[in-house]
Amino acid sequence: MAIDHVHDLQFVYKKILNSMSRPGQIASLQALEGRSDYNLQMLDATLLTIMSLLDREVTFHVLTENEENVAEKISEYTLALHTTIDQADFVIALNGTPETAIIQAMAQCKKGSLIDPHASSTWIIESAFSDEQESELLLTGPGIKDQTKLRTALTPAVWQARNACVAEYPLGIDLMLTDEELQVVCIPRTTKVDMMGVE
Amino acid sequence: MKTKSHFAFFDEGSKKEIRRAILKAVAIPGYQVPFASREMPIARGWGTGGLQITLSIIGKNDVLKVIDQGADESVNAVSIKKLVQSTTGVELVERTQEASIIQSRHRIPEVPLTPEQILVLQVPEPEPLRRVEKSAYKTKILHSENDYSGAWLMLFEQIMKYGRTATGADHPVYVNNRYVMAPSPIPRYDNPKLHQSEAIILLGAGREKKIYAVPPYTDVESLAFDDYPFSVESFTGKSCHLCGAEDVFLDELVDPATNETIYQCNDTSYCIEQLNKSEEVEVETSHA
Repeated sequence: MAIDHVHDLQFVYKKILNSMSRPGQIASLQALEGRSDYNLQMLDATLLTIMSLLDREVTFHVLTENEENVAEKISEYTLALHTTIDQADFVIALNGTPETAIIQAMAQCKKGSLIDPHASSTWIIESAFSDEQESELLLTGPGIKDQTKLRTALTPAVWQARNACVAEYPLGIDLMLTDEELQVVCIPRTTKVDMMGVE
Repeated sequence: MKTKSHFAFFDEGSKKEIRRAILKAVAIPGYQVPFASREMPIARGWGTGGLQITLSIIGKNDVLKVIDQGADESVNAVSIKKLVQSTTGVELVERTQEASIIQSRHRIPEVPLTPEQILVLQVPEPEPLRRVEKSAYKTKILHSENDYSGAWLMLFEQIMKYGRTATGADHPVYVNNRYVMAPSPIPRYDNPKLHQSEAIILLGAGREKKIYAVPPYTDVESLAFDDYPFSVESFTGKSCHLCGAEDVFLDELVDPATNETIYQCNDTSYCIEQLNKSEEVEVETSHA
């Protein structure tokens, strides 16, 4: 069954909006399982997120091994333009992207300016995550009542790079993580991410 | 329901652009994100900003409530409701508790909002510094430099003139300790409801082409001086002449027959609910 571009993508967007408003709260897109019949070498959750946000008006950069091939397909499906990391409105890091590549890209990507902080990049990263008790990330900030915990497959070094990106609020980047279970979790720039047990 | 126009009026491209702006607005609380405000079938200044947000986020299963200065049945609210319903087929309600999206002009409902709800506020003037600086480019610089002396000066001048801060509505607020934001012309009475709200609050200014937001559990502080603390409108000793409610925002009216000043709930659905409750009690206790 194909993706319904009106109602399915509205469903996805509403989930993303809720996740962006409540950082660390995991949203499930399970209701749309099996909708994607594209062969895009990416997770369904990533594809649904991309389809709901990208169009001809925005640019993206994709981090993956066979970059050209994937980038071409994303362009064909969404009409968004593939560009360099320092210009991209959306940065998509697919499964298996090496830690060093993500860290390097985070240093180079758009973070907005003081006058236009919204002219920053939004990241869509494929990574496993959960909100188990023994999670290593402690999240606080707007959208979070008291605090919330999150465990991700991203390394502490990646989170340190992310924290460096958002150090000069309101400049920064907003993250969306997608996983194999068709889940999405968002970490906007306002969220303070503390690594527990890492000194 | 089968509708002739595309679902939710907009083409999907327009929705995407507005949706992206809303996400940025949520990520930078209180910051006015520019967007390409669309031509709507209602005039600019009549809630097109709120309407565009509502149409971009609404789905088939949403339940919509639209209010205009607290009233469910005034022209602006009814026109917007009709447009959204005829293009989406969603259910319309008046009870605040039943709605999933509440679009409002100049009020936040009396009933506390829940995490499942989204409040969309219509904004005529999103720029809190507009009265002190005409240039949009200059106000953007002031925001970037965290220079809000203009907003403070406005309040200071009110104190000099009237002995207290005298904003009738739209009293500026600090959001997340960074941006000063116009909360739309809600009465000061509603300002505290923005602080650590359970619901997502989205604000749209169609004519000024700006979208901004207050995510849930975000600090929102009304601007005030230490020696002139922020205060809300006081209705002590007054109550609604219809339902008797005391701890709500009241409208001051003049009874045309007696020329007496009377007070009435501004939130009509809250008032009706109170009336229905007291009627139930009446039916239960009186044995005709």
